[in-house]
Amino acid sequence: MMSPRGSLRSAGWIAVLAACATLFVVLTFRVNAVKSEVRLAERRIVALQQEKMLLETEFETRASQQNLSNWNEVEFGYRAPRAAQYLENERQLASLGTPRAVGAPAPIRVASAEVSDDAAQSFPRMVSPVTGQEFAGAGTIASDIRATAAHERASLSSQITRNAARIVLKAGMEAGE
Amino acid sequence: MTAITVSSAISSGRSQLVNTRQRSLIMARLRVLWVLAAFAVLAVAALLRIAYLGVVEDAPRGMSMYQLLLPPRGEIADRNGVPLARAFPAYSLWYNPAALDDGGAPLVKSPQQVARELVRIFPDMDVHDLTRRLQSGRAGYLRRRVLPEDANRIQEIGELALEIPQETERFYPQGSMASHVLGYVAADGHGRVGMEAVLDKDLLDPARRATPAVLSLDLRVQGALEEELKKGMLATEAVGAAGIVLDVDTGEVLALASLPAFDPNRIDAAGQRNMFNRVTNQVYELGSTFKPLTVAAAIDAGVVTDLSRRYQANRPLEIGGFQIRDSHTIGASLNVPEALIHSSNIVTAQIADALGGKALKRTMSDLGMDQRPFIELPARGFPIWASGDWPRLRTMTVSYGHGIAVTPLHLASAYAAMVNGGIWRPATLRKVEPGKAAKGRRVFKASTSARMNQLLRMIAVYGTGRNADAPGFRVGGKTGSAEKPGAGGYRRSTLVSTFAAAFPMDRPRYVVIAMLDEPKGTAASSYQRTAAWNAAPIVGKVVPRIGPLLGIRPDDTRDIDLSDLKPLVHGGVE
Repeated sequence: MMSPRGSLRSAGWIAVLAACATLFVVLTFRVNAVKSEVRLAERRIVALQQEKMLLETEFETRASQQNLSNWNEVEFGYRAPRAAQYLENERQLASLGTPRAVGAPAPIRVASAEVSDDAAQSFPRMVSPVTGQEFAGAGTIASDIRATAAHERASLSSQITRNAARIVLKAGMEAGE
Repeated sequence: MTAITVSSAISSGRSQLVNTRQRSLIMARLRVLWVLAAFAVLAVAALLRIAYLGVVEDAPRGMSMYQLLLPPRGEIADRNGVPLARAFPAYSLWYNPAALDDGGAPLVKSPQQVARELVRIFPDMDVHDLTRRLQSGRAGYLRRRVLPEDANRIQEIGELALEIPQETERFYPQGSMASHVLGYVAADGHGRVGMEAVLDKDLLDPARRATPAVLSLDLRVQGALEEELKKGMLATEAVGAAGIVLDVDTGEVLALASLPAFDPNRIDAAGQRNMFNRVTNQVYELGSTFKPLTVAAAIDAGVVTDLSRRYQANRPLEIGGFQIRDSHTIGASLNVPEALIHSSNIVTAQIADALGGKALKRTMSDLGMDQRPFIELPARGFPIWASGDWPRLRTMTVSYGHGIAVTPLHLASAYAAMVNGGIWRPATLRKVEPGKAAKGRRVFKASTSARMNQLLRMIAVYGTGRNADAPGFRVGGKTGSAEKPGAGGYRRSTLVSTFAAAFPMDRPRYVVIAMLDEPKGTAASSYQRTAAWNAAPIVGKVVPRIGPLLGIRPDDTRDIDLSDLKPLVHGGVE
């Protein structure tokens, strides 16, 4: 004869076994469901790839070299670029500009740059993934960014004036060459 | 007594009643049980079925995605990856008279009406022909390569007998472009003529066909070359034209055109006739384009050391009863640059005579002129090449491109060797990775090559090649107008006009050859038949179009230094 405790224990085991079996079956079902979803997705990918190739081929055919040149003859008349249409370097580009005439008003230059304190704040905190503590050097980085932002804000106006002066100087130099 | 009997009678009657009730109750329960059992069996069966479906792999897996996406025949692409040939799932229009399967007429509407509706979709089809085919009751293709939108319109006609099966076909998006290089795929599924035939195994190999076969062609260069050749061919009413653009450092063929072309999408009798490749298969006497090769051989051998030395040029050379003469007398004497600029046969023959047949023959055979051209294509013509020792006359005629017949590809490879520093390399249609070019063999010294670059440039600046001198591209090249041999000698008026060029001459990168077969003197060529008026202008138009595509910028401020040779020409006066 089994003691009541013993029968209770075996009933518990059976329950656990049943639960495991149920979970196993559910898991298998789920796996197969995912598998068939993958298959469906693959089938869709194949169909889309083929459609893409069809469209691509149609595009290639309509935009074939012969068609393009026929269109060019009738509609656009583009020609190959001549030597004069190429520029060797920035110096050659600058040579195309005319220097500022004597007594002409200084060109008005408008500059804007957005530098806000948010730039420093939005920088993510560097936290060690193991200990959860802030990275040792992180504080200095954040303060560096804040300092740079402040510096940029302060020196922006002076920078702009300096750049403007440099550009004017360069133009003058090249005009003088 | 009676009471007892009565009561017993009653009790026996009651017990009978109870029995009946019990029996019917049991019966009812049993029936319920049966029904329950049936339901249970059903439920278990259903559960088992679900479990079977869920656990056991359902439905045959069929083909994997990779297999489904694998083309039945590999793609062919140009050097930039643009598809030139691909397997294309196209629709066909198939007439199946048995589709209705009711023993009556195969079509619901009258054949005439269906034919009219089909012609409304495909205006190039013929109503009467279609009606006849629909009436005949025989199954067959009515049309192949139907566009999806047209396939939808065919469905809308509502005839079951008009079936639209989807079939994989070989499709060439660029139409007839580069058809001689690509070839086509015949009904047996194997390639013919061009790279389709050469790469047939690779294109069908399941392990390799997933990645496209990359050719050395550049589609845009091919397009420009074909277009300009075609224009030149039509303008001069030539029977054919050929052209090639070759990379001088790697031997890669960037464009190869033989006109008239055929459409690989639609092979018919006319297409079959045009399959002959004029660039690799037909041999021509390419005439004066050989003169620079002769001069290069002479400079290389040390026979010509002084370019200012003058040769007589106003008397035809008499060799063994044969006269070598120029088309017109240019002057009493000419030096080497002048001889090339004015294309003098007399002077070139004298130079070759001084060089000797042995040396000229060796140079020509080093340039591969004694073998079929080196290229992958199956159709390669064998040159007309005199074996044995060359007598004086042969040496002299070969020097100006007669008595030797080669393909335009031979000439292109030889010019590449002459301008690239002297290394001959086989031409290839496969893309060459940087630094993987064939080693080649040295034919000319680098100094000879540098000198030839100057001379070729001078021909384009001062001589017969002026029409090819595209501004800013520093083109150098030589014209050649050879009479075609016919019955009883050469035919004076039937020419093969060639212009063999390289650019930019200060650092040659590409050789361009344009050839016209039997051009006529038309208004477009100033009523001239010679290469200076028909083949040279083609090169002059091709180079500005392909130069920027190939990374060569036109530049008016750059050129090869001609200052040491300039005084030798026209007495130094321009």
